[in-house]
Amino acid sequence: MSDNMTEDLTADTATAPLLAIEDLEVHFPIRRGIAIERTVGHVRAVDGVSLSIGAGDTYGLVGESGCGKTTLGRAVLRIEEPTAGKIRLGDVEVTSLRSEPLRRFRSKMQMVFQDPLGSLNPRHNVEMLLAEPLKVHGVGSKTERNKLATETLDAVGLPSSVLDRYPHEFSGGQRQRLGIARALMLRPDLIVCDEPVSALDVSIQAQVMNLLDELQDEFGLTYLVIAHDLAVVRHLSDQVGVMYLGKLVEEADSEAIYEHPRHPYTKALLSAVPQPDPEIEANRERIILKGDLPSPANPPSGCRFRTRCPWAQDICAEEEPVWREAATGHKVACHFDL
Amino acid sequence: MALLEVEDLRIAFGSSTVVDGVSFHVDESQVVSLVGESGCGKSVTSLAIMGLLPKLRKSGRGGGAAVSGRAVFDGVDLFGLSADQMRRRRGADLAMVFQDPLSSLNPVVPIGRQITEVLERHRGLRGEAARKEAENLLDRVGIPDPRRRLGEYPHQLSGGMRQRVLIAIAVACAPRLLIADEPTTALDVTIQAQILELLKDLVDAEGTALLMITHDLGVVAGMCNVVNVLYSGRVVESSSASRLFAEPTHPYTVGLLGSIPRLDLPIHEPLKPIRGSIADVIRWGDGCAFAPRCDLVGAECVAGEPMLKGEAHAHRCVKAEEIA
Repeated sequence: MSDNMTEDLTADTATAPLLAIEDLEVHFPIRRGIAIERTVGHVRAVDGVSLSIGAGDTYGLVGESGCGKTTLGRAVLRIEEPTAGKIRLGDVEVTSLRSEPLRRFRSKMQMVFQDPLGSLNPRHNVEMLLAEPLKVHGVGSKTERNKLATETLDAVGLPSSVLDRYPHEFSGGQRQRLGIARALMLRPDLIVCDEPVSALDVSIQAQVMNLLDELQDEFGLTYLVIAHDLAVVRHLSDQVGVMYLGKLVEEADSEAIYEHPRHPYTKALLSAVPQPDPEIEANRERIILKGDLPSPANPPSGCRFRTRCPWAQDICAEEEPVWREAATGHKVACHFDL
Repeated sequence: MALLEVEDLRIAFGSSTVVDGVSFHVDESQVVSLVGESGCGKSVTSLAIMGLLPKLRKSGRGGGAAVSGRAVFDGVDLFGLSADQMRRRRGADLAMVFQDPLSSLNPVVPIGRQITEVLERHRGLRGEAARKEAENLLDRVGIPDPRRRLGEYPHQLSGGMRQRVLIAIAVACAPRLLIADEPTTALDVTIQAQILELLKDLVDAEGTALLMITHDLGVVAGMCNVVNVLYSGRVVESSSASRLFAEPTHPYTVGLLGSIPRLDLPIHEPLKPIRGSIADVIRWGDGCAFAPRCDLVGAECVAGEPMLKGEAHAHRCVKAEEIA
């Protein structure tokens, strides 16, 4: 196992996907009791998700708060322990790695967080922040690390003069560039971007999205982008998966999913996105969903979306819809062809 | 006559001026927006109108805000009112909905009580009558089973429900002007659609004027009649929504629109961001504050003060003719 890990993972993955997730489940126990805690149920944050991402591609995972998208992203990096299922990165089975091999393997997969200020140590200057992942993985000498830091800063559009500055001295957009630079330091194969632009102002969002695009080409990165903003996901991704209450409800390449959404939830999501054009806004049919997300500890029977679905029928409460291919490369979990 | 006329509003905290001469007006039953990015002064403007900014102490210490200018509401300058007079208007004639409903609601008071409080103070309703009316209000903002919800605490409600409660409190006294400061920013997109629909219905049904503070041009396009774009404490462009989106004139507005990924444009088309950040600014007195980030910047942009020109479609750019 440990021999595999040091190989270049992108070498012979022309056909096989870089990341393959199979029936992933992440359940969190709900504990009650004062002296003796008993498990009274489980929050099924991720409840059987399979997806794969080709090398150099971007997979956009979209859904509302509580749908499990962040937990899925964290489980891929083993920050969250999967309850069941398999995750394979290149030809390494990530789910079976333990302790030291897992720690070393982490250099292949990195994360960019939503809140750049919260994810950068306020007492570390940029040099320390960027050198830390290299030190942890024992890469290079001090001069080599510095050289790499300067190169990476250059790649994310920051001057090397910022090396001795601290996170609070930067604007939100610059901090996110730092967060991206740190994720790049080990030259990983996969970067999980969890809401990479949602904390930023509109004009800065666009800068960071363009940067992510450029870096992907430059470093041959594969992205798993997790976001709630459908327009952001559409812009960044080659393939899009829509999550609802711990499950994928639809998946297709991004052109197809936005042109021809097949799941009622995707349709409702798309119709709810406000467009910066008064004419489009005045003329469009909006599908307003009723109510809120049900509890993931006790999901509805049958189709999980049925309690909010405007088209729900009797069958939706009785049978869980199968995950089927409705058109080439376009998968959906719905009893009906909409 | 306009319902609310804000004239030459200036707000400074210590030596930093955050609002630098903002003027706009809101007519009866109109939906007007102040749009801009963080730090442009949009929220502070709304707080000043509501009289919610900390007052400047005589000693000049304590971080209060120095507010000057006028905010004439229904013929009365709100800035000239005493604290007590303002308290009587706030909640009754003008009301506000905030971005974060969890921190705007009292966590240790049942939501029913938080609604009846407003009804008691401004409408003199007591006991069962107030409770009945609170139930009606919750029903009107689309909260199912309102009677039971009255006894619940904010933490027992979802984000969307909390925002509905906040809206119920705001419309409890049928205000003539409702100020909504980023009312849907903290919400998911399907819940955002619900809340925007609710606000639209209330405004249409009651003829309430709405001042919408937002950074989201999509929300503006769907809701507002008139748009004021703010940059670094000044209005840089102001017009009807239809004209602003069809013919944006100020380079900042053009830049904002170019920065937004849109569902109706070809996929993967590169965005055209505005370079730099809001930290790159010069003082309005020395030229255009947006000049350091503007692609069209010329010598005339960093000399003298750009003025807001035009009536129906006003803009603050000396190069606007060139752009058009």
